Amino acid sequence: MSEWRKLPDMGLLENKFNDNVIVAKLDKLISWSRSTSPWFFQFGLACCAIEMMAAAASRYDLMRLGMIPRSSPRQADVMIVAGTVTMKMALRVKKLYEQMANPKYVVAMGSCATSGGPYWQHGYHVLKGVDIVVPVDVYVPGCPPRPEALIEGILKLQEQILEERPLTRKTG
Amino acid sequence: MSDERDKLIAEVVEKALRGDMDEINNIEDRVTRSKAKAALAKAKRAQTADSPHQIEASDTGESTAPNTLSGNPNQKVGERISEKFPDSRDGEVADTHIQLKPDQWNEIATWLKTEEDLLFDSLQCITGMDLGENVLEARYNLHSMKHRNAIEIRIAVSREIAQIPSIEQVWRIGDWFERETYDMYGIRFTGHRDLRRILLPEDWEGWPLRKDYEVQETYHGIMVPKVKEGWE
Repeated sequence: MSEWRKLPDMGLLENKFNDNVIVAKLDKLISWSRSTSPWFFQFGLACCAIEMMAAAASRYDLMRLGMIPRSSPRQADVMIVAGTVTMKMALRVKKLYEQMANPKYVVAMGSCATSGGPYWQHGYHVLKGVDIVVPVDVYVPGCPPRPEALIEGILKLQEQILEERPLTRKTG
Repeated sequence: MSDERDKLIAEVVEKALRGDMDEINNIEDRVTRSKAKAALAKAKRAQTADSPHQIEASDTGESTAPNTLSGNPNQKVGERISEKFPDSRDGEVADTHIQLKPDQWNEIATWLKTEEDLLFDSLQCITGMDLGENVLEARYNLHSMKHRNAIEIRIAVSREIAQIPSIEQVWRIGDWFERETYDMYGIRFTGHRDLRRILLPEDWEGWPLRKDYEVQETYHGIMVPKVKEGWE
């Protein structure tokens, strides 16, 4: 287990109890538990979907990161936009993102979802990056990205979630 | 060994042809049994070929209905169309296609499909073309399963009157083909029962595969052309 996946540090109380007792700040505990079970909304729009499926299947096994594919936006925490977003689809992507419950995250997978990809210049019907309609947390480059690349993106997202402090009031 | 087997197979096949299938089914050895069944199928096929009610064995070619379109099918069918529908042809006679006027297209299509020695029962594709100089064209690829002929029909219209009679009720596959051609070129197929865009959203503006197409600036408030300045 890499360093960041351990429970956040507990100051003076660290190692004072035996192994079955976990002591943590609630703030950090929440972000830790969120980061270790990001259920994802499967959003296969093009060839990237094949790699996303491969990542979720047994060889790469996304489930070991706590990621379970959901078919409903209401049960999902992360939306993986895997593929070319056409203008017709863009409205639906936005609507589905709005249907997800907070906290919600977006991974833009592949060139098309990050920037329009090969349709960048002449694709009259392609949205030039899904970040035009929804806020994106992690961009995964590639055309399509290999499952390892997607998993790297997921790990980055988990790091990002772990740094959140949901109970701390933001100042400034 | 194999002589014995052949003899046995010949025997049981003869019995089976007379209606007694038990002999074949009772053969112990699996290989012999399957060989016997194969021989039976072959024998049955030979029987049907001898009988007067034969199905057309188009594989053998010559014995089928005489191919009236020997030579270039586009030219021959073109001549037939001119005979049947005078003044329906448009432009020169060509080897590669038949150029028609749009007016009588629906009747011609029905005739092409039902006429006994043409029988173009399969519409394989409808394509659009923007030929420039204000001309749009629809191209139909037809194929006859029975006579194994393929022809291409072309119908040119002007942009102002981009209307072609629909053949959606002649060949049902034409439904989506025509919708796609309409979607991309804006050729209206009159008489189509459900002429909507098929790929693009219904409120999209313009016809993307026309040569002078300019993409719209926004779609429901989303910028359509590239907007990320400074990326290039």
